[in-house]
Amino acid sequence: MRRALAAAAALAALAALAPAASAAGQRPRWDTRVLALVPPPGFPARAYVAPNGRIYEGTYENPAGDSVPSRVLEYSGDGTLLRSWTVEGQDLSQGHGVQVATSDALGRLVLLDKAPARAILLDTRTGAQSTYATFADIPDLLGNTPEPDYGVWGPDGSLYVSDYQQGVIWRVPPGGGAAQVWLDDPLLKGGMFGTAGLVLEPDLRTLLIAQGSESGGTGGGDPTTGRLLRAQIQPDGKPGPVTQLWESRPADAPDGIALARSGRVYVALVGPTNQIAVLNPDGSEAERFPQTPFTGDNGSSVPFDSVSSVMFLGTRLIVAQQSYELGDAAHQAILDVEAGEEGVPEYIPPNAGLRPGEQVVKAARAKSRKRAKAKHRRHHRRHHARRHRHR
Amino acid sequence: MDDNRIDRRRFVAGALATGAAAALPSSAQARAKHHAKAKKPTKRIRKRTADVVVVGAGFAGLTAARRVMQAGRSVIVLEARDRVGGRALNHDLGGGQVSETGATFVGPTQDRMLALIQEMGASTFPTFDDGQNVYVAQGQRQTYSDTGPTGTAPPDPLVLPELTEVVAQLDQMSTTVPVDAPWQASSAGDWDGQTLETWIKANSTSQRFQALVPMATRPIFGAEPRELSLLFVLFYIAASGDEKNPGTFERNFDTRAGAQQDRIVGGSQIVALKMAQDLGRRVVLASPVRRIAQGAGRVRVDSDRYTVHAKHAIVAIPPTLAGRIDYSPILPAERDQLMQRLGQGSLTKVAAVYPTPFWREQGLNGTAVSTDGLVSATFDDSPPSGKPGVLFGFVGGDSARAYNAMSPSDGRDAVLGEFATLFGDQAKSPTAYFDTRWTGEQWTRGCPVAIAGPGTLLAYGPWIRRPIDRIHWAGTETSTYWNGYMDGAVRSGERAAQEVLDAL
Repeated sequence: MRRALAAAAALAALAALAPAASAAGQRPRWDTRVLALVPPPGFPARAYVAPNGRIYEGTYENPAGDSVPSRVLEYSGDGTLLRSWTVEGQDLSQGHGVQVATSDALGRLVLLDKAPARAILLDTRTGAQSTYATFADIPDLLGNTPEPDYGVWGPDGSLYVSDYQQGVIWRVPPGGGAAQVWLDDPLLKGGMFGTAGLVLEPDLRTLLIAQGSESGGTGGGDPTTGRLLRAQIQPDGKPGPVTQLWESRPADAPDGIALARSGRVYVALVGPTNQIAVLNPDGSEAERFPQTPFTGDNGSSVPFDSVSSVMFLGTRLIVAQQSYELGDAAHQAILDVEAGEEGVPEYIPPNAGLRPGEQVVKAARAKSRKRAKAKHRRHHRRHHARRHRHR
Repeated sequence: MDDNRIDRRRFVAGALATGAAAALPSSAQARAKHHAKAKKPTKRIRKRTADVVVVGAGFAGLTAARRVMQAGRSVIVLEARDRVGGRALNHDLGGGQVSETGATFVGPTQDRMLALIQEMGASTFPTFDDGQNVYVAQGQRQTYSDTGPTGTAPPDPLVLPELTEVVAQLDQMSTTVPVDAPWQASSAGDWDGQTLETWIKANSTSQRFQALVPMATRPIFGAEPRELSLLFVLFYIAASGDEKNPGTFERNFDTRAGAQQDRIVGGSQIVALKMAQDLGRRVVLASPVRRIAQGAGRVRVDSDRYTVHAKHAIVAIPPTLAGRIDYSPILPAERDQLMQRLGQGSLTKVAAVYPTPFWREQGLNGTAVSTDGLVSATFDDSPPSGKPGVLFGFVGGDSARAYNAMSPSDGRDAVLGEFATLFGDQAKSPTAYFDTRWTGEQWTRGCPVAIAGPGTLLAYGPWIRRPIDRIHWAGTETSTYWNGYMDGAVRSGERAAQEVLDAL
């Protein structure tokens, strides 16, 4: 009886937390639309919503192999394809692909490349690309190679990057360079399904990590299930102990994560269950969409098929899916799923991505612009004065 | 030159008749008239400054300019002609009715153009499509419905198996061509190394079918299959869709559920006129741009009437015209080579006006495909009221070259004779006949689009949209979807404006 009452109270609390019923004219929660089919080489794995409201999509690895370089596509919030850039310097003899992890203080995109394992800064204004960080091959018995997957900025401008194959969290020092292993924990050893989604919680010191599976771990966990884990950036910069927020169901393979302002956590499940899981702040599972696993039936013309990432744009969840196993180009899409609530804005520190001296350059540019403006104003004044005299 | 003057007078007359003149910025119009009447071009070049200068007042340039203006930035549009609209040009039929001598149709997935039409308070109406299509091949005439599996393409039993197979193959191949980077298709090297004709000959056996292929390429590209890179054709098919709907040949070629499905009330140019009205004095007519110089963080654009200093320039004209501007410093060689190679198609639009669309009484919808003669395809171009009746035909590629070599009266007689074969002898007696030879238009140099021969996309394609410092490129030829269409122009203008606004 007490258990029933507790359950009823919990349900009531959940109901209070749940997003308000959609007002007239608004899309109902979970209304799903196709935002864009991603053109070849396809396999979109992570749709990044930049602070400017645009969506950036990298083409990721084709498991059947291909020899064309990856591209980054820019979409408006309504799904109009605006621009694209070809990734330079990839090793096309290897499985290759990029994910747009984040953007820096200057609005440049941070691309995580698989071959070679590196972070690239892409300046969308000029198209210029430069290597920001590199990720080393950590010798292990399984022969896994680095696969930088998701990245978030820390408060000091460090870039934290998950490594899907090697099961670590890297830290790239402010300004870039060679990444150092920041977190290496048995709970991150996932074998094939590794360390994936990464977000910084609003306290700006807790990293929330999605772990695809725990098959290589020592915790005795179920190798078919994944986890959401937490690790704090301690005042000395070192990681605190890893704690578990949630354990997934079998075959879920948690991937991308998005935080709602309500405290709820949205998790893309790239495994065959093909769902989006919604967790309460305490880690209990609140909801799944679609309710039925494995069907991928989301009501749109493109069913869920390897749901890889989720990120908020207003009250919408922008979802990327690869159709990794089927390789169905008609399913390689960015989807627009109404969540009915808003997400936590991404934190981008003022020095994010800036190399030593870059601020100085920026200030110099601003000074130069100011000088040019003053010159322009002087020119105008003289011009008007001349015209006045002529009259 | 005489043709240009006639067109100008026709345009002004048409604009007055349809009330479109009210849509032109009055000051710009007055200036343009003054300029047109001046015996000698004025030597006084005035100076203006703006955040952005746009070269070209077609749909791409006007769209870019409006988006810049809407973002609160200053903009000036320099247009060479004394009118706006670029390849969209209304022709006055009298009685307040117009026909289009250039861009005409809109269709499904042309989202940006459809949105613009709505935004500008214009509307569309369905292309007349009730009744039978006509097909003439090797002297034989037959009628068919476009509701069948081949759509607008004729279901000729002698070519049907190959037609079906080839279209399916092309559609399938196009799915591997990225619209934003066709040069990166996995088979790009192979496909850009051959023409459509080479590929068709290798993948079909029927000469009757092979003779049908130019009937598609002439209206679509203003070109023969031998002039077109296979990769470019596949890109064009892939681009015949939007972000949510992969392109298909059928959507490009068909009227029903295709790119020819709808028309714009008041003619397509009405939308450009409304945009120009919105921009007001920001649009400068009759002022061809001669030189663009960059330096010291600014760009200077010299035109016949104004020198504009701006932070960024958007060049929104066909590549071949963009290549005729003098740039300082000289553009990167690859960009220059691209502009040298992307020539405009050869397309002439011919039209005949009748008191009524008499073909409708015969159960025909005015759409025809013919392998015999100059006109490869026709459409019913009558106004929504159906009065007068207007038939227009596409004369493209070799046919356009042959037609342009004829005297005006011979050309007229030849076209009307072909119209009669398609729709009956009544077609020989129009109340008016006009043609628009786009290859002879100084500020277009061909229609409907720039075409790429073998090797162009692979070698120089990546430069099509790449900004050169402060110069940005727009125009339908730069579009990822509906390249060559009004929708592509609008898309390109929106994209270029976004680029510039990001940089400002």
